[in-house]
Amino acid sequence: MIEVTQLGKTYPGGVEAVKGVDFEVRAGEVFGLLGPNGAGKSTTIGMLTTTIEPTSGNARLAGFDVAKQPREARRVSSVVFQEPVVDRALTGRRNLILHARLWSVDPGAAARRIQNIVEVFGIGDVIDRPVASFSGGQVRRLEIARALISQPSVLFLDEPTVGLDTRIRYELLDLIDDLRDENDMTTLLTTHYLDEAERLCDRVAIISAGRIVALDSPRALLASLGREVIELRVQHDPQQVLGLLRSHRIAGDDTFAVGSTLTIPLRNGTAGEAMAQISELNVATTAISTRPPTLDDVYLRLTGDRLAA
Amino acid sequence: MTTITATDRIPVRTRRRPGAGQDNLSALLTLARRRLALSASNPREIFVPLLTPLLFALVIAPALATLVRSAPGLDYRTYLAIGTAGLLVPLACMFAGLGVVVDRQSGARPELLTAPIPRGLIVFGNLLVAVLVSGLQLGALLLATYLRGAHFDATATGIGWFVAAAGCFAVAMYSIAEIMANRIPSQEEYVGAVPAVAIVPWFIAGSLFPISALPAGLTAIAKALPLTHVLALMRYGLLDRHGAGLRDIWGMTNTTVMAALSTAVVVAYAILFLGLALRVFRRTAVR
Repeated sequence: MIEVTQLGKTYPGGVEAVKGVDFEVRAGEVFGLLGPNGAGKSTTIGMLTTTIEPTSGNARLAGFDVAKQPREARRVSSVVFQEPVVDRALTGRRNLILHARLWSVDPGAAARRIQNIVEVFGIGDVIDRPVASFSGGQVRRLEIARALISQPSVLFLDEPTVGLDTRIRYELLDLIDDLRDENDMTTLLTTHYLDEAERLCDRVAIISAGRIVALDSPRALLASLGREVIELRVQHDPQQVLGLLRSHRIAGDDTFAVGSTLTIPLRNGTAGEAMAQISELNVATTAISTRPPTLDDVYLRLTGDRLAA
Repeated sequence: MTTITATDRIPVRTRRRPGAGQDNLSALLTLARRRLALSASNPREIFVPLLTPLLFALVIAPALATLVRSAPGLDYRTYLAIGTAGLLVPLACMFAGLGVVVDRQSGARPELLTAPIPRGLIVFGNLLVAVLVSGLQLGALLLATYLRGAHFDATATGIGWFVAAAGCFAVAMYSIAEIMANRIPSQEEYVGAVPAVAIVPWFIAGSLFPISALPAGLTAIAKALPLTHVLALMRYGLLDRHGAGLRDIWGMTNTTVMAALSTAVVVAYAILFLGLALRVFRRTAVR
């Protein structure tokens, strides 16, 4: 449904934001694009939504080339933007009708869909009020509802929960999760929240410095770090400590550090044995703990201050 | 034996759909309705540009008319009333442009850019409403000045010249507003630039007095301004059948030819600025 081949973007001035990425999203799949700020996520989604012109490669949405057939590509897709993108002076309903008309949805069908969707999204009580009076969560719900009015084949969710408080964020996650279960729509999601990706995505691509550095299911990515990790907060230079741990074969190449915290995936032996070995080395630590690996670990190992040799 | 080889994915639709023109018209009207609803929800956008010209036409112009001895057969109050139109249209269009800055910074513009429509329609939808609102404001201004005692000498042809000049001028001014709204980063900076574009030319374009009364250098500049041609055409259409303003520009005797030339100048400005506005919009909308 989404085919991306060697897609690249170099901005005027020579900044190479995306360096020839390749991925394919299957029909009905929820695909996550993860990466730190400036990694190229927004540029990639901008190219797929035809607001940024690619400088190399190509991409297709439902068979339509985003560069050569942009209007057709836009017709089969909808976007929920990172920042709120609504006409605040207009009512929620008017915002939905505007989308329906621009996407050429039959007025009768649009009215029925709006009626259904505002109830499902819990904004039926406020839909005829100006959006300026909506809460942040209601605006987000309205935007997702709006994107669905045209029944897109491809839905882009660009950091849909950023800036929302925790309760609203979890409510929205439920909503998006339900969409996944009830629709055969293809969804491309970018997020900073790794728990979102883990919960919602069938597969994720981790993008760093304009390149995809990992692409797999969250389960497979987690498995790459083994069954358990040791998290070690050290008092002195973490690079020195890492060298020491490596020389004693406690840490492998996949160990990484962010700030003063070392994360050591366990490959051989038990956590107890490893912690005993660390204790024997008299490393000055402020905290030491074990836990199962998370997608954050995968993400940090691939995009963070990686100290592996 | 027939062999079918699939070499590439065949898009579902590649040709222009038969109803594309109708779709575009429908999209244009949708965008215009949206802009009108946004303008209506913010009455300041409609009434504030009207206030200063209305005050000028209803209070200052009659007061000035009592002091200034007009040329024979010319009512200075009416002369100024039409001159005020040259202030109203630019202000109305500049205020409409402010809505574009809001759209760009915190409105629904990104959503419109991802809609399956030709993106130029976004500009045309805004333009349509700006011209309509300017027209309504102009009508209100002329009605108010008429009720205050202005004497118009209008024929059907004269009204035609007036409408053509006002319409093309509104297109040109809104196009300038659209260019500014897409190029100027913030609302504050946009508002700061408005007087230079909307008010300064008014003083030298023959709004308050004929351009022949200006120093020679300024007269040459005035002749290049679209507003000078617009005001000369408006007065020719509604007030002065001899076309004194047109004569000051062209120095010819045939008023119809001069009116046609001035109309051509205003049309050329409208086309030029509209073309630039579309170009600037496309360049800023798609990176």
